[in-house]
Amino acid sequence: MSNVQSCYQCGKCTSICPMRRVSKTSPRSSIYNANVYGLETNDIWTCLTCGRCPIECPQQVDFLNFIKEERQGKTPLHVAHLGVFTEFSELSSKLDGKTPERSDSKYGYFPGCVDSLDLFLHDVKTNFGEITTSSLKLLDKLGIKPQIMNMKCCGHDVLWQGKKDVFEDLKKYNLNYIKESGIDTLVTSCAECYRTFSKDYGLGIKVVHISELLDKLGLNVNDAVTYHDPCRLGRHMGVYEAPRNALTANGVVVKEMEHSKEEALCCGVSNFMNCNEQTKALRIARMDEAEATGAKTLITTCSKCLAHFNCLKTEKDSVKKYDFDVVDLTVYLARKMEQT
Amino acid sequence: MSEGQTVASTKEECWVPNILAFACNWCSYAGADLAGVSRLQYPPTVKILRVMCSSRVEPAFILKALKDGADGVLIAGCHIGDCHYIDGNKNAEVRINNTKKALEKLGLDKRLRLEWISASEGLKFSEVIKEFTEEISKLGQNPVKEKIEPQINADERRSSASVNKSAANVQGSEVK
Repeated sequence: MSNVQSCYQCGKCTSICPMRRVSKTSPRSSIYNANVYGLETNDIWTCLTCGRCPIECPQQVDFLNFIKEERQGKTPLHVAHLGVFTEFSELSSKLDGKTPERSDSKYGYFPGCVDSLDLFLHDVKTNFGEITTSSLKLLDKLGIKPQIMNMKCCGHDVLWQGKKDVFEDLKKYNLNYIKESGIDTLVTSCAECYRTFSKDYGLGIKVVHISELLDKLGLNVNDAVTYHDPCRLGRHMGVYEAPRNALTANGVVVKEMEHSKEEALCCGVSNFMNCNEQTKALRIARMDEAEATGAKTLITTCSKCLAHFNCLKTEKDSVKKYDFDVVDLTVYLARKMEQT
Repeated sequence: MSEGQTVASTKEECWVPNILAFACNWCSYAGADLAGVSRLQYPPTVKILRVMCSSRVEPAFILKALKDGADGVLIAGCHIGDCHYIDGNKNAEVRINNTKKALEKLGLDKRLRLEWISASEGLKFSEVIKEFTEEISKLGQNPVKEKIEPQINADERRSSASVNKSAANVQGSEVK
């Protein structure tokens, strides 16, 4: 249970809420309505679950857990792409999955939903599969030969869309798969998978985001980039330094944006909800900050952030053109590795 | 289907495929109409849903149909170049093929089919339904069904199968 009872309605959360910049969303009143009146408000669905408000909260209210619990069993509002990713997870949760091909490797690599992203977001013109191939190349360079974990979806999106039963089905299968594969370290290249396996699974084995391994690559890249902190890796899991180290240790200069680390702005869409005009304004704000740094590349470590930024970039009738690339950390480093 | 299937008592034998067809308003739905007015015979396994264009069919619709227990999904549109909306069917082709690739991962790709059927091809419509029904019959039931309706007994299945049959007969003679 979240400690939502300790909220004393100071409203600090609302004053820093990114959604509040563009809409009437109020974390404070969503707590008030749920707690005092037991009311269901739209505010629990317009929340981006970016994790910005718990950092400032004087009472340390666990707002993320509150939202997660409040959403369970209710019908989500504003699911993007008609919920195709949710449907895919639900469909796969009802089918028998594959069994692991056992190997001696103690490392397991989980690619996440890059295939689905490639197939269902084909107009974003981003090669999501390259994240997987790049990650494997980089791991190979580090001397790690992982097992490819051919599991079902980690269940992040369905969990945050309030479908705990589907999540439990997926979790049961995945836990069994991981147990049978005999690995002791699970490597992911997606911030959302990393959060879910670390916090919502109770795995009992080590879960690593790939950026935590990449500082030992020993490349010498002469370039300047800017880095966007995904909410799932940064504020949810507290991993701020690892991706920056992975870049600086390989000779890349990181130019920080106006808001970074704990204060980083959100890409505007999480778990494929709330893709609309309001959140688009947040995306534009973030892209403008990236442009202001003067770097030619924007690096991120979450495949969803990548999708949303590139969606804005490749939009046909966009108001503004951005002339920098948005790439995943692994893709960036693998490309640089192959150039040298 | 044949009489043997509706009279059979065991669960497997009385099962008839349940196919959802999305037919485009301008070509394939008219093609299905033509099959009806021409009194062409085809199995009563298909439920036709009219959409304005084959590109109206989102991958989410297909996934939802399969999730809720459809044994097969057929998308029928105008031939390439004949689309009422110029290039809607080209977009549909990309989308459906991508969905097929995604379903390959789950082993359900054979349950999805894309066909081009024009308004004059009533015969093709009936043949596609015949072929697809045979194909689905070979594949067997949608594996998700066991999870969503384990309690339905053979009697209910049989009665729903006969309702399907009569519904299709009515549709076959329908003239617009």
